[in-house]
Amino acid sequence: MACSAEERIESKDIPRPSAEGDSLNEKEITFFLNGEEVTASVPVRMHAADFLRHRLGMTGTHVGCEQGVCGMCTILLAGGAVKSCLLLAVQLDGVEVWTVESLGEDDQLNELQAAFKRHHALQCGFCTPGFLMTATGLKARSAGRALSRREIREELAGVLCRCTGYEGIILAVEEYLDHGDNEGNPL
Amino acid sequence: MTRNAYRVIGQSLPRKEDDRLLRGDGCFTDDLQLVHQLEMVVGRCPFPHAAIGEIDVSRAAALPGVKHILTGADVRKLSDPLTVLRPVPGAPQLPFYALAQERALHEGQPVVSVVATSRAVAEDALELIDIDYQPLPHISVALDALAEDALVIHPGVMKSNLLSAHEDRAGEPEARMAEAEFTEEGRFHINRVSPLPMETRGIVATWRPAARELMVYTTTQTPHLVRQQFAESLRLDESCIRVTASDVGGGFGMKLGINPEELLAALHAIALRCPVKWIEDRLEFFRASTQARESVFDYRIGATIDGRITAITNQYTTDLGAWNSTYGSAQLSSVTFIGPYKVPDAVVERRVAITNKTPIGAYRGYGQPEVNFAREVLLDRLARRLGIDPYDIRKKNMLQPEDLPWTTPSGAIYENGDYLKTLRMAADALDYETHRLSPRVTRDDGHLIGIGFSSFVERTGYASARFLAGRGSRFGAHESVTLRANRSGSIDLYTGVSTFGQGSETAFAQICAEILGMEYDAIHIHAGDTAASPLNTGAFASRTLIAAAGAILEAAETMRGKILRIAAWILDCAPDTLTIDGDAVRFREGSNQSVPLSDIFFRAIIGQGIPENESPGLEASAHFEPTDASFSFGTAAAVVSVDPESGEFTVERFVMAHDSGVPVNPSLVDGQVRGGLAQGFGAALAEHLQIDPSTGQLTSGSMLDYFAPTAADLPPIELLHSEIPSPVTTFGVRGVGEVGTIPPGAAVANALCDALADYGIELSALPLTPESVWRAIESAQSTRKGEPL
Ligand code: FES
Ligand code: FES
Repeated sequence: MACSAEERIESKDIPRPSAEGDSLNEKEITFFLNGEEVTASVPVRMHAADFLRHRLGMTGTHVGCEQGVCGMCTILLAGGAVKSCLLLAVQLDGVEVWTVESLGEDDQLNELQAAFKRHHALQCGFCTPGFLMTATGLKARSAGRALSRREIREELAGVLCRCTGYEGIILAVEEYLDHGDNEGNPL
Repeated sequence: MTRNAYRVIGQSLPRKEDDRLLRGDGCFTDDLQLVHQLEMVVGRCPFPHAAIGEIDVSRAAALPGVKHILTGADVRKLSDPLTVLRPVPGAPQLPFYALAQERALHEGQPVVSVVATSRAVAEDALELIDIDYQPLPHISVALDALAEDALVIHPGVMKSNLLSAHEDRAGEPEARMAEAEFTEEGRFHINRVSPLPMETRGIVATWRPAARELMVYTTTQTPHLVRQQFAESLRLDESCIRVTASDVGGGFGMKLGINPEELLAALHAIALRCPVKWIEDRLEFFRASTQARESVFDYRIGATIDGRITAITNQYTTDLGAWNSTYGSAQLSSVTFIGPYKVPDAVVERRVAITNKTPIGAYRGYGQPEVNFAREVLLDRLARRLGIDPYDIRKKNMLQPEDLPWTTPSGAIYENGDYLKTLRMAADALDYETHRLSPRVTRDDGHLIGIGFSSFVERTGYASARFLAGRGSRFGAHESVTLRANRSGSIDLYTGVSTFGQGSETAFAQICAEILGMEYDAIHIHAGDTAASPLNTGAFASRTLIAAAGAILEAAETMRGKILRIAAWILDCAPDTLTIDGDAVRFREGSNQSVPLSDIFFRAIIGQGIPENESPGLEASAHFEPTDASFSFGTAAAVVSVDPESGEFTVERFVMAHDSGVPVNPSLVDGQVRGGLAQGFGAALAEHLQIDPSTGQLTSGSMLDYFAPTAADLPPIELLHSEIPSPVTTFGVRGVGEVGTIPPGAAVANALCDALADYGIELSALPLTPESVWRAIESAQSTRKGEPL
C-alpha cells in the first residue's frame, strides 16, 4: 500500500503553533462599531477590512481585491461609504463605523434588504454587503432628492457584482431611495 | 406540461439563500477562523518559463512565526500530480505537481509555499526565500506553439505542443464545400478572459491524525469531486476526507475540482496537524486561477447563391496554457458549432495547444460563446456578400420544429424547439422591419445606427454517463438527493450541490414542496457537505436542475407514498383517498378529518403507531441520471450607435429572446440570463487578459487593469421568454446557467457592421473596442482606396 502523506513527514519537522510574529507593533484604538464602543489592539500594518473580519469577527464585510476596486469591503465611516481595504485599522481610531451587521434587527430585514430580496438583487451574495452599505450611505446623502437611474448606476459603479447583471440591484436601490423611509437606516 | 400546471413550480418565490446573505451572515471560506489556525502563502514563478535551480529557504525558516515550508522536491515525495476530471481523450497525462519540478511553465506557477502564524508573516518569509531562476525561451501564442520547429514545452511526455486533436463530422462536408456556389471563410480570435468570481479561491484544511480525518472547507462547486481528487493526489482513502463548501462567492465553472494551492494547504495541514488557511489574493488570482476562452477559429461556410448553407467546416485551436487543469479547455465549440441551422454536411476539428500561460479551465459557456461569435459573424458577412438580409439568411437556414430532433455532427441531439420564433420575437421587439428598409443615415450626433442578430443553441446538462464515458470524463451524469423528515413536521433536503449563487436551494425546495404537497417554508436545504449528502456530481454545465429534478421527484414520491400509507392506517382508509395538503394529510374529498404531518413524522421516526409492515424512519434517497442533454435556444439582437470618425460606439438596446423550457422559478431564470449576459458583454467589449508576447507576461493582471462591467457599463437589456417544455427532462426544464454568455459578442459585432455597411468593415476579434472598430474602418478604407476605379 502506498504510504500516505502524513507518515512521510518526520516528527522533528512538526512545529507547534504559537503567537510569535503576530504581536509585534500593535497599537490600541477605540471607536464605535455599529453603535457600540470597541477598544482593541491592532497590528499597525493590518488593514481595516481584515481587522473587522478577523479580529472582531464581523465577517459580513468581504474582501475581493485589496486594491480599492471591487467594493466588497465597503463600510460606512463617519457617515460616508468607504473601502475598508484601503484604510489601516489604526485609522478607525475615534470614528463611527457601520457594517452590514447593523442593518435589520433580530430576524427582520430592513427596508433596503427587503427590497434586495424582492428584486432578486443577489445571487452568491458576496457583493451584497458592499451594495447595501453604499446604498445606505447614498440614502443619507441624497436626503430625499430623487436620483435618476443614471445617477444610481454611477453611484453603484464602485461595487462590482459578477452574478446578477445589476438589474435587480438598481431596481432595489431605486425603490429604497424613492419610497423607503429612514427606518432601519443607522445613519 | 407548462408551468401553469403546477402549484409551487413556476412561481417566483423569494430565495432560501437571501436572508443570511443580506444580514452579513453567510459563511464563506474566509469567514472561518479555527483555533490554532495558521496561514499559507504561495511563492510563484515570475517568468513564463524558467529552470529552477537552488531554493534557499534558510533565512525564511528562521523568521519568527514561520512554521513550515514546502518545495517541489517535498511535494513530489508527499503527493501525486493533480488528476484531471475531464481528460481530453487520447491526451497524455501531464505531471502537474502542486509545486513546480525543475522547471516552471507559466507566470504564477507555484514554486514554494510557506505557512506561518499569519499571512503577513508568511509573506515576509517569502521575500527571504532565494530561488535561482534561469529564464527560458517561452511561447505565448497557440498557433506559434503548433509550428513545426516550436520548442516543446513538455519534452519527454509530448512530441509537440499539440495535446490532442479531435474531429466530429457528418455527411460529406468537403465534397459539398467544393461544389458550393459560394464560400465565405474567416479567422476569428477569441480573447483570454477570467471568470472573475468576486470571491477568490480559498481553503481551510485540518488533519486529525488519530481520527485519520482530513477536513476541508473550500470554495468549490463540486465537493464530492474535490474529495475524490484529494484522495487521488494525497494517496488517502476517500473515507478519510470530508469536504464542505458552505457559501461560495460565485463559481462560473472556475471552482470545479482542485488546483495546486488546495493540495498544498492539505499537505501543510497534514504535516503540521494544525488548521491551515489559504485565501488567494487578487493579484495571484490573475496568474493562478484558471482562465478561459482563448482560441482561434478558422470557420468556413459553403452556400448556394440564394443563401442556403450547404456545408460548414470549422477548425479551431484552443490555447490550454501550460497544464491540463481539472476540466481542461472548453469542449462545446465542437458540439454547437452548426448552431440552430440545418446543415447535414459539417465537420469540426478541435486542436488543443500547450503554451507558457496560466492553465485554462471551465468557464460559463465552455466553448459556446467562442464558436457562436465565429459562426454568427461569418454568417452576416456571407449575407452581405450575397446581398441577403441577415434576418432572412437565418430564417432560411434555421431548423424548423418539424426537423427536430436533429443530430449534430458530434452526436448531440437537439430535442425540440421553435428557433425561428425567437428570431421573430427579437426582430419584432426592435421593429427590425422598419430598420432594414431605411438607409443608414447619420443621426444628429454624428452616429450611425445598426442592428445585429446572434442566434444560438445552448447545450445544457449531460446525456447519460455512457455519453460522458465516450468523452473521457471521470464523473457521472447523475444528481442525487436525500430527504429526511423531522418530528416537527418539516423536511431536510441534503444535496452535494453547493451554493454559489445559482439558487439551487430555492429551486430544490420548490420541487420538493410541489411533489410532497407541503409548504415551501417547510423544506430546509443542507448543501455541499460530503459527509451529509449522497454522492453526486456537482453544479456545472447547466446540468444541476436537469439531473436533480428527477432525483428530488423520485425521493419525494417515495416519501409521499409512505406518509400516505401511515396516514391511511391511522384514519382506517385507503391511501389513494388521501393527499398531503400543507402541514397535514387530508381526504381528497368528503370528510374533513386530517392528521398533522408532525404526528405522522413523529410516529415514523420512533417507529411507534405505524403499520406493522412499515419499517421505522422516514427518509428517502434517489439518484437520477438524465437520458439526454437538453438544448436551450434563442436569438439576441443589439442596437448599436457608432461614430464612424472615432470608432466610439454604444449598445443602445439589447433584446434577448430565449427558451429555457419550463422555469421552476422565473425570477431565478431571469437572474441567470442577466448575469450571464453581463459576463458575455464583459468578454465581448472589455475584458482581456493580455500577454505581452515578447516577455510572456500578463499586462492586465489586476482589478484596475481588467475591466469587468460595473452597473454603469451595461446596456439596457430586455428579456423575452418562450417556454416550450423539453420532452427529454423532468418537468420539461432546460438548463439556463450559461446561455447569457453566448450571444453578446456576435450581436454587437454584427450591429457595428450593419451600421457601418457603407464602409464595408469586418470584425474578427474580441474584445470589440472603439480602437478595433476604428482600425477596421481605416483598413476597409485603405483597401478601397487601393481598388481600381
Ligand atoms: S477589497 Fe476593498 S475594494 Fe476590493
Ligand atoms: S451576487 Fe455574486 S457577486 Fe454579486
